[in-house]
Amino acid sequence: MATLALPRPKSYDDSFWKPISLWLTTTDHKLIGIMYMTTGMLSFVIGGVFALVIRLQLTQPNGKVVDADTYNQLISAHGTTMIFFFVTIFMTGIANYFVPIMIGARDMAFPRLNLLGFWMIPVSILLYYAAFFTGGALNAGWTAYAPLTERQFNPGNGVDFWALSLIVWAISGIMASTNFLTTIVALRAPGMRLSRLPLFVWAQISTSILLLIVGAPLAAALILLEFDRQFGTNFFTTAGRPVLYQHLFWFFGHPEVYIMILPGFGMISEIIPVFSRKPIFGYSTMVAALFGIVFLSMAVWAHHMFTVGMDIYVETFFMIMTMLIAVPTGIKFFNWIATAWRGSIEFTLPMKFAFGFMATFLIGGITGIYLSSVPVDTQLHQSYYVVAHLHYVLFGGSVMTIFAGTYYWFPKITGRKLNETLGEWHFWTVFIGFNATFLVMHTLGLEGMPRRIYTYPGGFGEEGWGATNAFITVASFLVALSVLIFLINLVVSWRSGEVAGDDPWEGNTLEWATSSPPPPYNFDRVPPVRSFMPLRDLRGDRVTREPVPAESPS
Amino acid sequence: MPRSADFYTVGVSYRSRLVRRLALAAPLVTILLFLPAPVLAASGLSPLLPPGVSPNGQNLYNLYNIISIPAIIVFVLVEGLLLTIVVRDRRRRLGPNYKPPQWHGNTRLEIAWTVAPLVLMIAIGALSFTELQRDFQRPFGSPSDMEIDISAHQFGWSYTYPQGFTVSSEGTQVQPLVVPTGRLVRIKLDSEDVIHSWWVPEIAGKTDAVPGYDNYTWFNIQQVGQYRGECAELCGDGHYSMQIMVKAVTPDDFDAWVAQEQAAQATPSPSSSPSPSPSPSASASASPSPRPSASASPSPSPSR
Repeated sequence: MATLALPRPKSYDDSFWKPISLWLTTTDHKLIGIMYMTTGMLSFVIGGVFALVIRLQLTQPNGKVVDADTYNQLISAHGTTMIFFFVTIFMTGIANYFVPIMIGARDMAFPRLNLLGFWMIPVSILLYYAAFFTGGALNAGWTAYAPLTERQFNPGNGVDFWALSLIVWAISGIMASTNFLTTIVALRAPGMRLSRLPLFVWAQISTSILLLIVGAPLAAALILLEFDRQFGTNFFTTAGRPVLYQHLFWFFGHPEVYIMILPGFGMISEIIPVFSRKPIFGYSTMVAALFGIVFLSMAVWAHHMFTVGMDIYVETFFMIMTMLIAVPTGIKFFNWIATAWRGSIEFTLPMKFAFGFMATFLIGGITGIYLSSVPVDTQLHQSYYVVAHLHYVLFGGSVMTIFAGTYYWFPKITGRKLNETLGEWHFWTVFIGFNATFLVMHTLGLEGMPRRIYTYPGGFGEEGWGATNAFITVASFLVALSVLIFLINLVVSWRSGEVAGDDPWEGNTLEWATSSPPPPYNFDRVPPVRSFMPLRDLRGDRVTREPVPAESPS
Repeated sequence: MPRSADFYTVGVSYRSRLVRRLALAAPLVTILLFLPAPVLAASGLSPLLPPGVSPNGQNLYNLYNIISIPAIIVFVLVEGLLLTIVVRDRRRRLGPNYKPPQWHGNTRLEIAWTVAPLVLMIAIGALSFTELQRDFQRPFGSPSDMEIDISAHQFGWSYTYPQGFTVSSEGTQVQPLVVPTGRLVRIKLDSEDVIHSWWVPEIAGKTDAVPGYDNYTWFNIQQVGQYRGECAELCGDGHYSMQIMVKAVTPDDFDAWVAQEQAAQATPSPSSSPSPSPSPSASASASPSPRPSASASPSPSPSR
């Protein structure tokens, strides 16, 4: 593909520093995307520091690194930061940058709404962290179950700051989802039929639908909680129905898991075909699987509540719906494998992370089967088994895809490749460190260590947890080291990395047709779109126009 | 040298490279397996649930193991496929002239890996449902079984026995829940403040204690012994201290212990209450206030 000959505006060169006024006022989806991603990365670092303090506290029985209330604030802040301010925000950033380019649009449908939606996120984050300086933040876990969060048991302001912060966050998420859906429906380039959308864009459609549906119930739950706290109502108090809060929260909370992983699925679906030099296997089933997950994920929320004492037939319904999620997820997994099968695979860093993602996310998926079974879940629920499981799907899943996506698209965003050597170090330290941290954590749960305990005082037969916890703490610092390497790589490569060119990976999708970084208007002329791999068609070196009659991959 | 798409024709070089890679990978795998070995030995890391001392806990142990069979098969299968790709399908090995097959899909295969997980999940779901009907169908047991009321609070438990006395366990000052072996004990759970969760892993799964309604669980402990647990739902600063000890004794020992407790309860120490009237049966169960532990109650020593 020919490079663009038009001169680019000065402020859009690939230099590291740009004027602050540009960042504050831009409605360019790419710059907003970078700001989303930067915000997400900063939150990742903050949440990671929280995690390290938590690990230090748990290293030995009767740990005294922080006091119990601080510890409870830290676990709440770790969860809230990673879920709401890192993964979701970073994913939104990547989508904000690439969805318009991938569909051949010039910008998002509502650029100013986009800007407003972004600036609500720092507001949300600051609201939450402000509580640390006004007498203590939320101390009831990121799920903030009532009635522990009611005024009677929690007189401080932490819960209020948290609730307001997440209400702002939810409104911002609803704005972004509306914007994505409108953009994808209305601003596609000529020829970009729905059946030719890149799978990352399909993933963003499903994510946006989910957030649009469940964002409001989250805000509703938090508003009701604030009514209880400020106006003395009895929705979730001991005089009301505390379990109602759990229903409302998890009606948001479980789909949120998919809001965090579906864009990652989309990235993997882009990366594997490019580096295998094969088309994605089963495009339409991949799309169908996404919507299968969207549908099912809204009918599984009560699987977080199998111990509250529901009727067994209700529990069975939620158990079966939960287990059914394994079907679309399995389809995606096997389709990725079939895509790479007998490919001509280049194990570049994005591809390494994609395979690392599949290898670890699989474990999270399998432990999810145990947790979905109601009887077994009554043992595993609220134990360190669940902590291990959720980190396997969130870190081994979402965060690994974030790494993969960052290595894949960094050249497009900055015009420079991330450093290979640092990248290799990053991959192996995170892969080994992550598995060392979380694999043994399952056994702690099986031995009876509940999550969210400040310490294990010893004297009750739980001293044996000390050695395992010490090992986990050491391993968690390996993960911290890997993230440090990654951050250094980001900064160093952005300033002085190897210049990448417009299409360093021989990509399939439209973003590789424009310059790196793209001009404000994205494209001079959008290339013709005749399949879901328009760039490959242009290169003309592969057969893609006509689907080859299906063969069994050996 | 021209390279063919068929890897069998380049078998020799393939095999030698494969051997080299495996040789490289073997130490890594070994390190990964044995790095935590001392830790494994020290802390008795178990990949399984504790075998239950009560039939419902035992059933959970069995169900966990049954689910593990397909889980391990799927794990090995998928990781094996991924490893095969990593080792076999590298461009470095296949050369730049290798043209990968341009499969867009295969309906039969895709149906296969849709239906296979579906069947597997329905099977696991059916097994789980059977277990739900067997051990989780409320109400548990018959009214003639022993029912103990457990009331949770920040940060302890009160155990009210059908004989009318109450034992309080506060934080790490653990008083055991003493129960007879070989008898079905129904547990009625309630909370005075926030949500707590009753969990003794060696006996059975968790049951939440939620303010506002009664929740039920049961056990039928077969072996004399002490079983530890703790609150499993974050309930405030003292959550970690909310320990549980269940002590299973023979029915004879239990009757003797009950008699002791009743005697201790009937003659409260003069300082504890100004009311002079211990009508022994009525007052005890009504009082939820933490009672100083009876000296006659079994030792709180945690050793098993």
